Amino acid sequence: MSEIALRVPKLPGPGSILASQLRYQLTLLGRNPRAIAAGLVLPGALLALERGSAQHITMAQAAPKIAGLVALSAVAIAFFTHANGLVVAREDGVLRRWHASPLPSWAYFAGRMMATMAVTAAAGLILVLVAVGMTGVHLTAHAVVGLLVVDMLAALALAAAGTAITTIIPSAQSAQPVLMLTYIPLIVLGGAFGAITSLPHWVNTAMTYLPVQPAIDAASSALQHGTIASGRDLAVLGGWVVGGLLVSFRFFAWDPHRPGHARPAEARTTLRSAK
Amino acid sequence: MSAIIVKDLVKRYGRFTAVQDVSFEVAPGQVTALLGPNGAGKTTTIEILEGFLAPSAGTVQVLGANPRTGGRAWRARIGLVLQTTSLDAQLTVSEALMMFGALYPKPRRIDEVLDLIDLASDARTRIGALSGGQRRRVDLGLAIIGQPEMLFLDEPTTGLDPEARRRLWSVIENLTAAGTTVLLTTHYLDEAQYLARRVIVLADGRVVADASPDELRAMGGVPSIRYRLPSSAPALPPTIGMHVAGNVLTMPSDDVTADLALLVGWARENDVDLTGLEVGPPSLEDAYLALIP
Repeated sequence: MSEIALRVPKLPGPGSILASQLRYQLTLLGRNPRAIAAGLVLPGALLALERGSAQHITMAQAAPKIAGLVALSAVAIAFFTHANGLVVAREDGVLRRWHASPLPSWAYFAGRMMATMAVTAAAGLILVLVAVGMTGVHLTAHAVVGLLVVDMLAALALAAAGTAITTIIPSAQSAQPVLMLTYIPLIVLGGAFGAITSLPHWVNTAMTYLPVQPAIDAASSALQHGTIASGRDLAVLGGWVVGGLLVSFRFFAWDPHRPGHARPAEARTTLRSAK
Repeated sequence: MSAIIVKDLVKRYGRFTAVQDVSFEVAPGQVTALLGPNGAGKTTTIEILEGFLAPSAGTVQVLGANPRTGGRAWRARIGLVLQTTSLDAQLTVSEALMMFGALYPKPRRIDEVLDLIDLASDARTRIGALSGGQRRRVDLGLAIIGQPEMLFLDEPTTGLDPEARRRLWSVIENLTAAGTTVLLTTHYLDEAQYLARRVIVLADGRVVADASPDELRAMGGVPSIRYRLPSSAPALPPTIGMHVAGNVLTMPSDDVTADLALLVGWARENDVDLTGLEVGPPSLEDAYLALIP
């Protein structure tokens, strides 16, 4: 073996790399006005507005509303912002830049998902504080912890689903329409703004297998009883985590998308030089 | 051992062959320029060496390893500046350097890199607020923060103003003086002439020349007389005038003394100032243009 080949440096360990990536992703999220507005500010504002019109509210009445808005926040941050940001980063070449470095692939996604979960949990906490402050409902520590656990599991499930969906989004321009088409039905039909009783039976059934309704049901149960009543809800969320990660592992691309008719890098070079 | 070994490299995309039977080696500590027109195979070749693409045939080794299987340890020993600058606009310059530096076993200090890329005063500026030339320098900073043994630069100064280009050249010179091996692709022949000890010319996916800049110039043929004519210049003698294109005389000359005597005689007769007259071997551009189809 050559002298050059023998010089193997000792690389930073997984802990320090993960910490650095978490910091990086939290910095990006913190500087994303859309994520802040849709995920942190809007749900709290909606809860405050709704409370403003009510006289007296019980926990049984408040829990589904809080759970629904927690789910809204999770979908906004962990699905829409996460997936949109991934597509933009891929198409801008940022992911390629990272992939060319010694960064392990798992660390990039772990950092990104952990940051998403942290911000989603913070949003959940803000909602709890607004709820307690404005509705006067009493929440036990168990209820809050249970809510945050469900919130973070839902965020992980939605982030995994969001990562998987980026494998079929070809460009930054098509990211928003594709994500809006999935995001809006998810939150509306899933019950984030209250259960819709007039839906066809098959739609109701389908919603129980998508990540939003199980998250709302589990969060609502945690708020009211301090426990998560249905293991099925957690199983559905867990299934989305596993399924989303498997699809992403198999199909995720780090390089910008090339249309099928395009020639390789040389053609892109030609087009740029011709400008 | 060579830093880069390329043997009989072929890359096909369906029926299109981007690179055909390319072979070359790059010694450690050298700056080698890869030249060629658009579509010549430069970017494809460098992307194979960077590990982004797999060859269709042939073998490549960079720092003793196959780029496709080198892994993190190998990536820690190379630095890249890709053809387009791709950075997170929301990060500050120092944040970006810190994030990348955290991936390497022995990163340079942030302030040292900031000085090298001449962005110390913009350390806290967000990348999105920087000019194109400044972003390119950040890109170079990210490429060198890990103290790489091997640096790939894909058109590093394209789109930069002359001052920014010169600054980047200075950074590259300092790096090579410290022993870093550099392979760069460029459209700028003056850049290749200034920085590179060796030039490999690709055309239609094949190597058409592999020599030092001076050797390449010598391949361009006989010496030439070059002169930009003033707009009001009278007609030149026919044997000279036939080499004028636009208002630039570029005349290959087997007998420089005789041809110069003719030109000087004409200039004296017509009271024409010959300031700017150049006589010498063909320029690198002339030699390069003579090589490519």
